[in-house]
Amino acid sequence: MTRPVRTARPLRVLLVEDNPGDADLTRDTLEASIEPSGRELDLQVVVDGEQAIDYLLRRGPHTAAARPDVILLDLNLPRLGGVQVLAEIKQHDQLRDIPVVVLTSSAAETDIAQSYRAGANAYVTKAGELGAFMANLQAIERFWFNAAKLP
Amino acid sequence: MGTSVSAPEPAASLAPNPEMFRLIVEAAPHAILVANPRRLIALINRRTEELFGYARDELVGQPTEILVPMQFRKAHPGHVDNFLAAPSARAMARGRELVGRRRDGSELAIEIGLTPLPTPDGLFTMASIIDITERKRYEDELRRSNAELEQFAYIASHDLQEPLRMVASYTELLGQRYRGKLDDKADKYIFYAVDGAKRMQRLVADLLTYSRVGSQGRPLVDVDTEAVVTGVVEMMRSSIRKANARIEVSPLPHVMADEVQLRQLFQNLIGNALKFRAEADPVIGIRVAHHGDQWLFCVEDNGIGIDMQYAERIFQMFQRLHERGKYEGSGIGLTIVKRIVERHGGQVWIESKPGLGTSFFFSLPSVATKAA
Repeated sequence: MTRPVRTARPLRVLLVEDNPGDADLTRDTLEASIEPSGRELDLQVVVDGEQAIDYLLRRGPHTAAARPDVILLDLNLPRLGGVQVLAEIKQHDQLRDIPVVVLTSSAAETDIAQSYRAGANAYVTKAGELGAFMANLQAIERFWFNAAKLP
Repeated sequence: MGTSVSAPEPAASLAPNPEMFRLIVEAAPHAILVANPRRLIALINRRTEELFGYARDELVGQPTEILVPMQFRKAHPGHVDNFLAAPSARAMARGRELVGRRRDGSELAIEIGLTPLPTPDGLFTMASIIDITERKRYEDELRRSNAELEQFAYIASHDLQEPLRMVASYTELLGQRYRGKLDDKADKYIFYAVDGAKRMQRLVADLLTYSRVGSQGRPLVDVDTEAVVTGVVEMMRSSIRKANARIEVSPLPHVMADEVQLRQLFQNLIGNALKFRAEADPVIGIRVAHHGDQWLFCVEDNGIGIDMQYAERIFQMFQRLHERGKYEGSGIGLTIVKRIVERHGGQVWIESKPGLGTSFFFSLPSVATKAA
Protein backbone atom coordinates (compact mmCIF):
# COMPACT_ATOMS: atom_id res chain seq x y z
CA MET A 1 0.00 0.00 0.00
CA THR A 2 1.21 3.47 -0.80
CA ARG A 3 0.75 6.19 1.72
CA PRO A 4 -1.07 9.25 0.44
CA VAL A 5 1.67 11.53 -0.79
CA ARG A 6 -0.57 14.56 -1.08
CA THR A 7 -0.19 15.38 2.57
CA ALA A 8 3.50 15.83 2.00
CA ARG A 9 3.09 18.94 -0.11
CA PRO A 10 1.46 22.18 0.99
CA LEU A 11 -2.00 23.07 -0.23
CA ARG A 12 -1.60 25.58 -3.02
CA VAL A 13 -4.03 28.45 -3.10
CA LEU A 14 -4.04 31.38 -5.51
CA LEU A 15 -5.65 34.48 -4.04
CA VAL A 16 -6.63 37.13 -6.59
CA GLU A 17 -7.10 40.24 -4.46
CA ASP A 18 -6.10 43.86 -5.00
CA ASN A 19 -6.72 45.05 -1.46
CA PRO A 20 -3.59 44.29 0.61
CA GLY A 21 -5.60 44.66 3.82
CA ASP A 22 -7.96 41.89 2.74
CA ALA A 23 -5.08 39.76 1.44
CA ASP A 24 -3.31 39.92 4.83
CA LEU A 25 -6.48 39.23 6.74
CA THR A 26 -7.29 36.30 4.48
CA ARG A 27 -3.80 34.84 4.82
CA ASP A 28 -3.78 35.23 8.61
CA THR A 29 -7.17 33.62 9.02
CA LEU A 30 -6.59 30.74 6.60
CA GLU A 31 -3.18 29.93 8.08
CA ALA A 32 -4.55 29.91 11.62
CA SER A 33 -7.49 27.81 10.51
CA ILE A 34 -5.46 25.15 8.67
CA GLU A 35 -2.80 24.85 11.36
CA PRO A 36 -4.46 22.17 13.53
CA SER A 37 -4.75 19.87 10.48
CA GLY A 38 -0.98 19.78 10.23
CA ARG A 39 -1.16 20.77 6.63
CA GLU A 40 0.82 23.64 5.21
CA LEU A 41 -0.65 26.44 3.16
CA ASP A 42 1.13 27.89 0.16
CA LEU A 43 -0.87 31.04 -0.55
CA GLN A 44 0.16 33.12 -3.55
CA VAL A 45 -1.38 36.55 -4.09
CA VAL A 46 -1.80 38.35 -7.39
CA VAL A 47 -3.38 41.78 -7.52
CA ASP A 48 -5.35 41.91 -10.74
CA GLY A 49 -7.10 39.81 -13.35
CA GLU A 50 -4.37 39.95 -15.96
CA GLN A 51 -1.80 38.78 -13.45
CA ALA A 52 -4.10 35.97 -12.42
CA ILE A 53 -4.29 34.68 -16.00
CA ASP A 54 -0.51 35.14 -16.47
CA TYR A 55 0.08 33.21 -13.26
CA LEU A 56 -2.18 30.34 -14.24
CA LEU A 57 -0.70 30.13 -17.74
CA ARG A 58 2.84 30.59 -16.38
CA ARG A 59 3.52 33.63 -18.47
CA GLY A 60 5.83 36.58 -17.81
CA PRO A 61 7.29 36.55 -14.32
CA HIS A 62 5.27 33.45 -13.40
CA THR A 63 7.08 30.79 -15.45
CA ALA A 64 7.80 28.80 -12.29
CA ALA A 65 4.29 29.14 -10.86
CA ALA A 66 2.78 25.92 -9.49
CA ARG A 67 -0.76 25.03 -10.44
CA PRO A 68 -3.05 26.00 -7.56
CA ASP A 69 -5.42 23.50 -5.93
CA VAL A 70 -8.01 26.19 -5.29
CA ILE A 71 -8.46 29.77 -6.53
CA LEU A 72 -9.95 32.46 -4.32
CA LEU A 73 -11.15 35.24 -6.58
CA ASP A 74 -12.22 38.79 -5.75
CA LEU A 75 -14.68 40.30 -8.25
CA ASN A 76 -13.84 43.96 -8.00
CA LEU A 77 -10.45 43.91 -9.70
CA PRO A 78 -8.61 46.53 -11.69
CA ARG A 79 -8.32 45.99 -15.47
CA LEU A 80 -9.65 42.47 -16.12
CA GLY A 81 -12.67 42.05 -13.81
CA GLY A 82 -13.27 38.99 -11.65
CA VAL A 83 -16.12 37.57 -13.72
CA GLN A 84 -13.99 37.81 -16.89
CA VAL A 85 -11.10 36.06 -15.13
CA LEU A 86 -13.53 33.38 -14.03
CA ALA A 87 -14.88 32.96 -17.55
CA GLU A 88 -11.36 32.64 -18.98
CA ILE A 89 -10.42 30.01 -16.42
CA LYS A 90 -13.56 27.99 -17.05
CA GLN A 91 -13.12 28.16 -20.82
CA HIS A 92 -9.53 26.97 -20.63
CA ASP A 93 -8.98 23.22 -21.06
CA GLN A 94 -6.09 22.97 -18.61
CA LEU A 95 -7.60 25.29 -15.98
CA ARG A 96 -11.33 24.64 -15.88
CA ASP A 97 -11.12 21.85 -13.30
CA ILE A 98 -9.53 24.08 -10.64
CA PRO A 99 -12.25 25.02 -8.13
CA VAL A 100 -12.82 28.78 -8.02
CA VAL A 101 -14.31 30.32 -4.91
CA VAL A 102 -15.50 33.87 -5.51
CA LEU A 103 -14.69 35.96 -2.44
CA THR A 104 -16.13 39.45 -2.71
CA SER A 105 -17.75 42.25 -0.76
CA SER A 106 -20.58 42.40 -3.31
CA ALA A 107 -23.85 40.76 -2.34
CA ALA A 108 -25.55 42.00 -5.52
CA GLU A 109 -27.85 39.41 -7.08
CA THR A 110 -26.45 40.16 -10.54
CA ASP A 111 -22.88 39.44 -9.40
CA ILE A 112 -23.94 36.18 -7.78
CA ALA A 113 -25.91 35.04 -10.84
CA GLN A 114 -23.16 36.08 -13.27
CA SER A 115 -20.49 34.31 -11.26
CA TYR A 116 -22.32 31.01 -11.13
CA ARG A 117 -23.18 31.26 -14.80
CA ALA A 118 -19.49 31.81 -15.55
CA GLY A 119 -18.72 28.62 -13.65
CA ALA A 120 -17.93 29.65 -10.08
CA ASN A 121 -17.73 26.69 -7.69
CA ALA A 122 -18.85 28.80 -4.74
CA TYR A 123 -19.71 32.40 -3.99
CA VAL A 124 -18.79 33.77 -0.56
CA THR A 125 -19.23 37.37 0.58
CA LYS A 126 -16.70 39.25 2.67
CA ALA A 127 -18.85 40.12 5.64
CA GLY A 128 -18.57 43.69 6.89
CA GLU A 129 -18.11 42.47 10.42
CA LEU A 130 -14.69 41.03 11.24
CA GLY A 131 -15.99 38.00 13.14
CA ALA A 132 -18.32 37.03 10.31
CA PHE A 133 -15.61 37.65 7.71
CA MET A 134 -13.25 35.29 9.54
CA ALA A 135 -15.97 32.69 10.06
CA ASN A 136 -16.59 32.62 6.30
CA LEU A 137 -12.89 32.13 5.59
CA GLN A 138 -12.74 29.34 8.17
CA ALA A 139 -15.69 27.72 6.46
CA ILE A 140 -13.84 27.91 3.13
CA GLU A 141 -10.79 26.36 4.76
CA ARG A 142 -12.76 23.55 6.35
CA PHE A 143 -14.73 22.70 3.24
CA TRP A 144 -12.40 23.35 0.31
CA PHE A 145 -9.05 22.60 2.01
CA ASN A 146 -10.23 19.67 4.12
CA ALA A 147 -13.60 18.10 3.37
CA ALA A 148 -13.58 18.39 -0.42
CA LYS A 149 -11.54 16.05 -2.58
CA LEU A 150 -9.67 18.22 -5.04
CA PRO A 151 -8.60 17.22 -8.56
CA MET B 1 -63.25 116.59 1.15
CA GLY B 2 -60.14 114.62 1.80
CA THR B 3 -61.72 112.53 4.54
CA SER B 4 -64.40 110.81 2.48
CA VAL B 5 -62.08 108.77 0.20
CA SER B 6 -62.51 105.58 2.24
CA ALA B 7 -66.21 105.39 1.38
CA PRO B 8 -66.85 102.36 -0.88
CA GLU B 9 -67.46 102.97 -4.57
CA PRO B 10 -71.06 102.41 -5.59
CA ALA B 11 -71.64 98.77 -6.61
CA ALA B 12 -73.23 99.96 -9.80
CA SER B 13 -69.79 100.54 -11.34
CA LEU B 14 -69.18 96.73 -11.25
CA ALA B 15 -72.39 95.93 -13.09
CA PRO B 16 -72.00 94.08 -16.40
CA ASN B 17 -70.47 96.28 -18.99
CA PRO B 18 -69.41 94.70 -22.26
CA GLU B 19 -66.40 96.93 -22.72
CA MET B 20 -65.12 96.31 -19.19
CA PHE B 21 -65.70 92.58 -19.64
CA ARG B 22 -63.70 92.64 -22.87
CA LEU B 23 -60.83 94.54 -21.20
CA ILE B 24 -60.70 92.10 -18.26
CA VAL B 25 -60.60 89.09 -20.56
CA GLU B 26 -58.02 90.79 -22.76
CA ALA B 27 -55.76 91.60 -19.79
CA ALA B 28 -55.85 88.10 -18.28
CA PRO B 29 -52.44 86.42 -18.05
CA HIS B 30 -53.99 83.11 -19.21
CA ALA B 31 -55.33 82.27 -22.60
CA ILE B 32 -59.11 82.56 -22.48
CA LEU B 33 -61.48 81.12 -25.04
CA VAL B 34 -65.28 81.14 -25.09
CA ALA B 35 -67.21 78.63 -27.19
CA ASN B 36 -70.82 79.16 -28.20
CA PRO B 37 -73.59 76.54 -27.83
CA ARG B 38 -72.69 75.27 -31.33
CA ARG B 39 -69.15 74.67 -30.03
CA LEU B 40 -67.63 77.29 -32.26
CA ILE B 41 -65.08 79.72 -30.89
CA ALA B 42 -66.93 82.94 -30.03
CA LEU B 43 -64.20 84.92 -28.32
CA ILE B 44 -60.51 84.69 -27.49
CA ASN B 45 -58.03 87.00 -25.80
CA ARG B 46 -54.57 88.21 -26.84
CA ARG B 47 -52.82 85.51 -24.81
CA THR B 48 -54.67 82.83 -26.84
CA GLU B 49 -53.31 84.38 -30.04
CA GLU B 50 -49.78 84.32 -28.60
CA LEU B 51 -50.04 80.80 -27.22
CA PHE B 52 -51.40 79.12 -30.32
CA GLY B 53 -49.92 81.41 -32.97
CA TYR B 54 -53.24 82.26 -34.63
CA ALA B 55 -54.65 85.72 -35.41
CA ARG B 56 -57.99 86.38 -33.78
CA ASP B 57 -60.08 86.18 -36.94
CA GLU B 58 -58.46 82.86 -37.86
CA LEU B 59 -59.92 81.31 -34.72
CA VAL B 60 -63.26 83.03 -34.12
CA GLY B 61 -66.02 80.99 -35.78
CA GLN B 62 -63.89 77.84 -35.97
CA PRO B 63 -64.66 74.60 -34.05
CA THR B 64 -62.60 74.29 -30.88
CA GLU B 65 -60.98 71.14 -32.31
CA ILE B 66 -58.72 73.43 -34.35
CA LEU B 67 -56.58 73.73 -31.19
CA VAL B 68 -56.57 69.99 -30.49
CA PRO B 69 -53.77 67.79 -31.87
CA MET B 70 -54.88 65.51 -34.73
CA GLN B 71 -54.62 62.29 -32.71
CA PHE B 72 -57.10 63.62 -30.10
CA ARG B 73 -59.55 65.36 -32.44
CA LYS B 74 -61.83 62.41 -32.92
CA ALA B 75 -62.40 61.93 -29.20
CA HIS B 76 -62.84 65.62 -28.41
CA PRO B 77 -66.55 66.10 -29.24
CA GLY B 78 -67.36 63.18 -26.91
CA HIS B 79 -65.50 64.90 -24.06
CA VAL B 80 -67.40 68.11 -24.79
CA ASP B 81 -70.70 66.21 -24.67
CA ASN B 82 -69.76 64.80 -21.28
CA PHE B 83 -69.04 68.28 -19.99
CA LEU B 84 -72.24 69.74 -21.39
CA ALA B 85 -74.26 66.87 -19.93
CA ALA B 86 -73.19 67.94 -16.43
CA PRO B 87 -71.69 71.42 -16.76
CA SER B 88 -69.78 72.66 -13.72
CA ALA B 89 -66.65 74.71 -13.20
CA ARG B 90 -63.79 72.22 -13.18
CA ALA B 91 -60.42 71.26 -14.59
CA MET B 92 -60.52 69.47 -17.92
CA ALA B 93 -59.27 65.87 -17.87
CA ARG B 94 -58.13 66.06 -14.28
CA GLY B 95 -55.06 63.97 -13.70
CA ARG B 96 -54.36 63.54 -17.41
CA GLU B 97 -51.83 65.49 -19.41
CA LEU B 98 -53.40 67.76 -21.99
CA VAL B 99 -51.77 68.79 -25.21
CA GLY B 100 -52.70 71.72 -27.45
CA ARG B 101 -51.83 72.26 -31.09
CA ARG B 102 -50.33 75.51 -32.39
CA ARG B 103 -50.99 76.94 -35.83
CA ASP B 104 -47.63 75.56 -37.05
CA GLY B 105 -48.61 72.06 -35.93
CA SER B 106 -46.26 72.01 -32.90
CA GLU B 107 -47.71 70.83 -29.59
CA LEU B 108 -47.66 72.37 -26.13
CA ALA B 109 -48.45 71.01 -22.67
CA ILE B 110 -51.47 72.79 -21.20
CA GLU B 111 -53.91 72.78 -18.34
CA ILE B 112 -57.51 73.85 -18.94
CA GLY B 113 -60.14 75.09 -16.52
CA LEU B 114 -63.74 74.97 -17.80
CA THR B 115 -66.58 77.22 -16.67
CA PRO B 116 -70.15 76.98 -18.00
CA LEU B 117 -71.62 80.38 -18.93
CA PRO B 118 -75.43 80.20 -19.16
CA THR B 119 -76.83 83.03 -21.28
CA PRO B 120 -80.23 83.81 -22.81
CA ASP B 121 -78.73 82.57 -26.10
CA GLY B 122 -77.80 79.17 -24.66
CA LEU B 123 -74.91 77.57 -22.78
CA PHE B 124 -71.54 79.09 -23.61
CA THR B 125 -68.34 77.54 -22.21
CA MET B 126 -65.29 79.44 -21.08
CA ALA B 127 -61.93 77.69 -21.22
CA SER B 128 -59.00 79.15 -19.34
CA ILE B 129 -55.77 77.72 -20.73
CA ILE B 130 -52.39 77.68 -18.99
CA ASP B 131 -49.14 76.84 -20.75
CA ILE B 132 -47.36 74.34 -18.47
CA THR B 133 -44.43 73.55 -20.78
CA GLU B 134 -42.02 75.31 -18.41
CA ARG B 135 -43.49 73.66 -15.34
CA LYS B 136 -43.23 70.26 -16.95
CA ARG B 137 -39.65 70.97 -17.88
CA TYR B 138 -38.88 71.84 -14.23
CA GLU B 139 -40.68 68.71 -13.06
CA ASP B 140 -38.69 66.58 -15.47
CA GLU B 141 -35.49 68.25 -14.33
CA LEU B 142 -36.38 67.69 -10.70
CA ARG B 143 -37.13 64.05 -11.35
CA ARG B 144 -33.85 63.62 -13.16
CA SER B 145 -31.85 65.37 -10.47
CA ASN B 146 -33.54 63.26 -7.77
CA ALA B 147 -32.69 60.11 -9.68
CA GLU B 148 -29.08 61.25 -10.03
CA LEU B 149 -28.91 62.03 -6.33
CA GLU B 150 -30.21 58.59 -5.50
CA GLN B 151 -27.70 57.00 -7.84
CA PHE B 152 -25.00 59.06 -6.18
CA ALA B 153 -26.06 57.99 -2.69
CA TYR B 154 -26.07 54.39 -3.88
CA ILE B 155 -22.61 54.52 -5.41
CA ALA B 156 -21.17 56.54 -2.54
CA SER B 157 -22.49 54.23 0.14
CA HIS B 158 -21.52 51.15 -1.85
CA ASP B 159 -17.95 52.30 -2.44
CA LEU B 160 -17.56 53.62 1.10
CA GLN B 161 -18.18 50.17 2.51
CA GLU B 162 -14.91 48.75 1.25
CA PRO B 163 -12.43 51.12 2.96
CA LEU B 164 -14.66 51.28 5.99
CA ARG B 165 -14.51 47.53 6.34
CA MET B 166 -10.71 47.84 6.47
CA VAL B 167 -10.84 50.46 9.23
CA ALA B 168 -13.37 48.47 11.24
CA SER B 169 -11.64 45.11 10.77
CA TYR B 170 -8.14 46.27 11.62
CA THR B 171 -9.10 48.40 14.60
CA GLU B 172 -11.04 45.41 15.89
CA LEU B 173 -8.08 43.11 15.27
CA LEU B 174 -5.89 45.61 17.07
CA GLY B 175 -8.28 45.50 20.00
CA GLN B 176 -8.41 41.70 20.05
CA ARG B 177 -4.69 41.09 19.78
CA TYR B 178 -3.27 43.98 21.80
CA ARG B 179 -5.80 44.50 24.58
CA GLY B 180 -3.92 44.88 27.85
CA LYS B 181 -0.55 44.88 26.08
CA LEU B 182 -0.37 48.63 25.60
CA ASP B 183 -1.89 50.71 28.38
CA ASP B 184 -5.39 51.59 29.61
CA LYS B 185 -5.59 54.69 27.46
CA ALA B 186 -4.64 52.74 24.34
CA ASP B 187 -7.37 50.20 25.07
CA LYS B 188 -9.89 53.02 25.44
CA TYR B 189 -8.79 54.71 22.22
CA ILE B 190 -9.08 51.45 20.33
CA PHE B 191 -12.52 50.88 21.79
CA TYR B 192 -13.76 54.25 20.56
CA ALA B 193 -12.23 53.72 17.13
CA VAL B 194 -13.88 50.31 16.79
CA ASP B 195 -17.20 51.63 18.07
CA GLY B 196 -17.15 54.60 15.69
CA ALA B 197 -16.17 52.52 12.69
CA LYS B 198 -18.91 49.99 13.40
CA ARG B 199 -21.54 52.67 13.77
CA MET B 200 -20.43 54.24 10.52
CA GLN B 201 -20.62 50.85 8.82
CA ARG B 202 -24.16 50.56 9.99
CA LEU B 203 -25.06 54.05 8.78
CA VAL B 204 -23.50 53.46 5.38
CA ALA B 205 -25.25 50.09 5.05
CA ASP B 206 -28.56 51.74 5.99
CA LEU B 207 -27.98 54.56 3.53
CA LEU B 208 -27.35 51.95 0.87
CA THR B 209 -30.61 50.19 1.72
CA TYR B 210 -32.44 53.50 1.60
CA SER B 211 -31.03 54.57 -1.74
CA ARG B 212 -31.86 51.14 -3.17
CA VAL B 213 -35.58 51.85 -2.67
CA GLY B 214 -35.43 54.41 -5.44
CA SER B 215 -32.52 53.28 -7.57
CA GLN B 216 -33.04 49.51 -7.53
CA GLY B 217 -36.83 49.35 -7.36
CA ARG B 218 -38.73 46.89 -9.52
CA PRO B 219 -41.87 47.69 -11.49
CA LEU B 220 -45.14 47.52 -9.55
CA VAL B 221 -47.11 44.35 -10.19
CA ASP B 222 -50.14 42.65 -8.67
CA VAL B 223 -49.12 41.43 -5.20
CA ASP B 224 -51.11 39.57 -2.56
CA THR B 225 -50.50 41.60 0.60
CA GLU B 226 -51.73 38.82 2.84
CA ALA B 227 -49.22 36.35 1.43
CA VAL B 228 -46.49 38.95 1.90
CA VAL B 229 -47.44 39.55 5.54
CA THR B 230 -47.70 35.80 6.22
CA GLY B 231 -44.23 35.38 4.75
CA VAL B 232 -42.80 38.21 6.84
CA VAL B 233 -44.37 36.86 10.04
CA GLU B 234 -42.97 33.42 9.23
CA MET B 235 -39.52 34.89 8.61
CA MET B 236 -39.61 36.87 11.87
CA ARG B 237 -40.92 33.92 13.85
CA SER B 238 -37.96 33.66 16.20
CA SER B 239 -37.95 37.34 17.19
CA ILE B 240 -41.74 37.26 17.53
CA ARG B 241 -41.48 34.26 19.84
CA LYS B 242 -38.63 35.84 21.80
CA ALA B 243 -40.78 38.92 22.44
CA ASN B 244 -43.73 36.67 23.35
CA ALA B 245 -45.74 38.63 20.79
CA ARG B 246 -49.01 37.81 19.12
CA ILE B 247 -49.62 38.98 15.55
CA GLU B 248 -53.23 39.31 14.42
CA VAL B 249 -53.57 39.56 10.66
CA SER B 250 -56.95 40.44 9.10
CA PRO B 251 -57.72 39.51 5.48
CA LEU B 252 -55.62 41.76 3.25
CA PRO B 253 -56.07 42.79 -0.39
CA HIS B 254 -54.05 42.55 -3.57
CA VAL B 255 -52.24 45.78 -4.45
CA MET B 256 -49.90 47.01 -7.15
CA ALA B 257 -46.49 46.84 -5.52
CA ASP B 258 -42.83 45.95 -5.64
CA GLU B 259 -43.05 42.75 -3.62
CA VAL B 260 -39.53 42.98 -2.19
CA GLN B 261 -40.24 46.49 -0.94
CA LEU B 262 -43.68 45.60 0.39
CA ARG B 263 -42.05 42.82 2.40
CA GLN B 264 -39.43 45.24 3.70
CA LEU B 265 -42.19 47.69 4.63
CA PHE B 266 -44.07 45.17 6.79
CA GLN B 267 -40.85 43.77 8.19
CA ASN B 268 -39.78 47.24 9.34
CA LEU B 269 -43.18 48.05 10.85
CA ILE B 270 -43.50 44.72 12.68
CA GLY B 271 -39.86 44.97 13.76
CA ASN B 272 -40.54 48.46 15.04
CA ALA B 273 -43.56 47.29 17.03
CA LEU B 274 -41.53 44.44 18.56
CA LYS B 275 -38.65 46.73 19.41
CA PHE B 276 -40.69 49.41 21.15
CA ARG B 277 -42.80 47.01 23.18
CA ALA B 278 -44.01 47.83 26.69
CA GLU B 279 -44.10 45.57 29.76
CA ALA B 280 -47.15 43.66 28.56
CA ASP B 281 -46.82 40.95 25.92
CA PRO B 282 -46.93 42.66 22.53
CA VAL B 283 -50.08 42.34 20.44
CA ILE B 284 -49.64 43.57 16.88
CA GLY B 285 -52.70 43.96 14.68
CA ILE B 286 -52.53 44.32 10.91
CA ARG B 287 -55.75 45.54 9.32
CA VAL B 288 -56.99 47.31 6.23
CA ALA B 289 -59.94 49.46 5.23
CA HIS B 290 -61.09 50.64 1.82
CA HIS B 291 -61.31 54.42 1.54
CA GLY B 292 -62.34 55.89 -1.81
CA ASP B 293 -59.65 54.83 -4.25
CA GLN B 294 -57.18 53.97 -1.49
CA TRP B 295 -56.44 51.01 0.74
CA LEU B 296 -55.76 52.23 4.23
CA PHE B 297 -53.47 49.80 6.07
CA CYS B 298 -52.92 49.90 9.79
CA VAL B 299 -50.20 48.21 11.85
CA GLU B 300 -51.19 48.70 15.44
CA ASP B 301 -49.29 47.81 18.61
CA ASN B 302 -49.67 48.06 22.39
CA GLY B 303 -46.10 49.26 22.86
CA ILE B 304 -44.55 52.22 24.64
CA GLY B 305 -46.21 54.72 22.27
CA ILE B 306 -44.81 58.02 21.21
CA ASP B 307 -45.48 61.66 21.98
CA MET B 308 -47.30 63.01 18.93
CA GLN B 309 -44.99 66.03 18.82
CA TYR B 310 -42.41 63.60 17.35
CA ALA B 311 -44.88 62.13 14.84
CA GLU B 312 -43.02 63.66 11.89
CA ARG B 313 -39.52 63.31 13.21
CA ILE B 314 -39.57 59.54 13.49
CA PHE B 315 -39.71 59.31 9.69
CA GLN B 316 -36.61 61.44 9.19
CA MET B 317 -33.31 59.82 8.36
CA PHE B 318 -31.15 58.81 11.31
CA GLN B 319 -33.49 60.47 13.82
CA ARG B 320 -33.81 58.55 17.05
CA LEU B 321 -35.90 59.47 20.05
CA HIS B 322 -34.02 57.33 22.53
CA GLU B 323 -30.43 57.51 23.69
CA ARG B 324 -27.95 55.26 21.99
CA GLY B 325 -27.80 51.80 23.54
CA LYS B 326 -31.37 51.68 24.83
CA TYR B 327 -32.79 50.47 21.51
CA GLU B 328 -30.78 49.04 18.64
CA GLY B 329 -30.75 50.64 15.24
CA SER B 330 -29.61 53.74 13.44
CA GLY B 331 -33.04 55.23 12.87
CA ILE B 332 -33.52 54.46 9.20
CA GLY B 333 -36.25 51.79 9.40
CA LEU B 334 -39.19 54.19 9.33
CA THR B 335 -37.47 56.45 6.79
CA ILE B 336 -37.36 53.45 4.48
CA VAL B 337 -41.02 52.74 5.24
CA LYS B 338 -41.92 56.29 4.22
CA ARG B 339 -39.80 56.11 1.09
CA ILE B 340 -41.40 52.81 0.05
CA VAL B 341 -44.95 54.02 0.68
CA GLU B 342 -44.30 57.21 -1.28
CA ARG B 343 -42.78 55.29 -4.16
CA HIS B 344 -46.04 53.34 -4.29
CA GLY B 345 -48.10 56.54 -4.42
CA GLY B 346 -49.28 56.48 -0.80
CA GLN B 347 -48.76 58.31 2.45
CA VAL B 348 -47.77 57.19 5.94
CA TRP B 349 -48.53 58.64 9.36
CA ILE B 350 -49.03 57.60 12.94
CA GLU B 351 -51.50 57.92 15.75
CA SER B 352 -50.13 57.23 19.18
CA LYS B 353 -50.56 57.70 22.90
CA PRO B 354 -47.53 57.29 25.15
CA GLY B 355 -48.03 54.19 27.25
CA LEU B 356 -50.89 52.85 25.16
CA GLY B 357 -49.39 52.03 21.81
CA THR B 358 -48.92 53.25 18.29
CA SER B 359 -50.85 52.80 15.06
CA PHE B 360 -48.96 53.17 11.82
CA PHE B 361 -51.26 54.01 8.94
CA PHE B 362 -50.29 53.92 5.31
CA SER B 363 -52.31 54.26 2.16
CA LEU B 364 -51.79 52.49 -1.15
CA PRO B 365 -53.79 53.21 -4.29
CA SER B 366 -56.42 50.56 -4.92
CA VAL B 367 -56.72 49.90 -8.61
CA ALA B 368 -58.32 47.14 -10.58
CA THR B 369 -56.07 44.16 -10.03
CA LYS B 370 -56.14 40.76 -11.58
CA ALA B 371 -58.50 38.32 -9.94
CA ALA B 372 -57.00 36.79 -6.81
